[in-house]
Amino acid sequence: MTDTGTAAVRTDGVWKVFHQEAEEVQAVRDVSLTIARGEFTALAGPSGSGKTTLLNLVGGLTRPSRGVVEVAGRDVTAMSNQDLARLRLDQVGFVFQAYNLLPVLTALENAEFPMLLQGVPADERQARVHELFERTGMTGLEDRRPGKLSGGQQQRVAVVRAVASRPALVLADEPTANLDSTASAALLDVMADLNREMGVTFVFATHDARVMERSRRLVRMVDGRIDSDETRA
Amino acid sequence: MPSPPATRRPLHARVLLLLAMRNLRRHVRRTVLTASAMIVGSALLVFTFAMGDGSHEQWIDSGVRLGEGHVTVERPEFRVSRRIEDRLPAAVRRAAEAAFAAPEVAPRVVATTSKLTVTGLASSAAGSRPARIVAVDPAAEAEFSPIDDQVIEGRYLAPDDRLAAYVGVELVDSLDLRLGSRFVVQAQDAEREIAGQLLRVVGIFRSGVPEVDQMFVHIPLATAGEWLGSAGDVTNVGVVVDDSTAAPGVAAQVERALAEPIARGDARVMGWREANPALAAAVAIDDFGNYLVQGFIFTIIAFGIVNTVLMSVLHRRREFGVLRALGLTPGQTGTIVLIEGLTLTAVSGFVGVGLGLAFTWYFFGDGWDISGLMDEMTFSGVVIEPILHPLVRTARITQVLLFILFIGAAASVYPALRAARLDVTEAMKFDR
Repeated sequence: MTDTGTAAVRTDGVWKVFHQEAEEVQAVRDVSLTIARGEFTALAGPSGSGKTTLLNLVGGLTRPSRGVVEVAGRDVTAMSNQDLARLRLDQVGFVFQAYNLLPVLTALENAEFPMLLQGVPADERQARVHELFERTGMTGLEDRRPGKLSGGQQQRVAVVRAVASRPALVLADEPTANLDSTASAALLDVMADLNREMGVTFVFATHDARVMERSRRLVRMVDGRIDSDETRA
Repeated sequence: MPSPPATRRPLHARVLLLLAMRNLRRHVRRTVLTASAMIVGSALLVFTFAMGDGSHEQWIDSGVRLGEGHVTVERPEFRVSRRIEDRLPAAVRRAAEAAFAAPEVAPRVVATTSKLTVTGLASSAAGSRPARIVAVDPAAEAEFSPIDDQVIEGRYLAPDDRLAAYVGVELVDSLDLRLGSRFVVQAQDAEREIAGQLLRVVGIFRSGVPEVDQMFVHIPLATAGEWLGSAGDVTNVGVVVDDSTAAPGVAAQVERALAEPIARGDARVMGWREANPALAAAVAIDDFGNYLVQGFIFTIIAFGIVNTVLMSVLHRRREFGVLRALGLTPGQTGTIVLIEGLTLTAVSGFVGVGLGLAFTWYFFGDGWDISGLMDEMTFSGVVIEPILHPLVRTARITQVLLFILFIGAAASVYPALRAARLDVTEAMKFDR
């Protein structure tokens, strides 16, 4: 289910250069990439290939050294910190390798947190989260704090948090890296279902073969450049 | 397709408070330790200020009652010349008394007195000594001054006394007088001639203030009028008010009422600070000392708060990174930290103030007897008693609370800036 209208993500000649002491590290080199709405795309490559940095650039967590990054048709490179924060809140959901739930909030509160910031009314927040918890098999665990959830359960809460605010794009950085194969498969099923049924665009940074197998487009990166870009049926 | 996002609203205070309170509860021991320091410091602040304010009020009360009052009306020249020709004209005296009795001033006035004070010489067969002769209305002065209660022999002046004198004990000793003895006072009269008056000792007092006990002679105002040819004139009209902090307001009201005689140069209105600068300086110095000690204590406490909040921020770098990734602005992220610091200080501050008030409450009534540490002392016409009575003023409590909140806010600024300025991608890598 791919939307051919405005791209979810477009990068044009993007570079990201870090300066570590006297050394210059080119983490992303001249990357031009367009991801349509509704895609289920994996950025694959070995450690240090630049996939996480590219994900951070797309999510507005860091700014490119050169080039243009557009999310939902908006150029994020020239945005103020406030506008970037607004873009992340309204258009981008994140799923991290280490789950990164807020430990002081319950599963339900974590999941509804972005909507709380958006000012979504309480009844609508609860309805969205309950529906997604049901889809992800998390019903009954709403009041548990992250410390009382397994890794797979925490990652499912993170996925619900990422999609419940209805972003244009979900960026998932090694979402299965800390999960066993069963939990990984279950999580991928959940994300594939959400992509198919809700049209959420997913972009993964991964070196997990299972994620690559499930993705419909596989972009391989080597040394900060796109090495191959393969779309599957 | 994803639906358009809801309209963004400012971050709700409830969310911030929720995060702040839960984060404070995460490290209970650290929070409790910092809060305890804050509570003890706040309680100490309230207690020391209550005791300090009580002591100062006691000093001021002692000084003004043995002197001219919290607010006094005199001729401008009298303060320096101390001469009878610089007395208040009768019309100005009446206007001053009326101003102190006006409805907007009277509720604050505890006692009023009009007296004629001259410097002269007291003589007996044993010799002569300088004396300050204070001519008073005995009934009014008894309300105004504690001197009538300081009698050690005889009695204070009575309204129908004529040639009676109430004399300080050291002057009595130096003139070798006894109760019932007669002696002569001499001073310049209204005609600028030296005039003498025979008086009889009806009472002897000990105020504890050497300069008062060595020089003061109280006589009836009517006697002075006949002796000095001053009729019913006085050199000052003074009042004691219910709280020294009311003095500037009362003085301002009376100044407005006496605008004409003041413009003519016939009157001057003075508060106790102006009339007794040594006392005002002593209070200011003591206050400064208190502020210095409290400032020192709270600087240490502030470092404790900085430590608690900063450690909390450093331990939660990744969480702040997540919050930023979820859409919080740098300012909102810093605000969470500020609210944590402020919540910690506000709660501790209120508890501390409550504890301080409860502790202070114990000393209401009988006061705090520190006679084991010090004897009664005097300075500049003021008796410092070794029993401290606390005084709690709403303004002071408000000041203390605002100070505590300021300390909390100031101590949270640096950790808040650290949280606001963190590099999101670095923070997300942290501890991975």
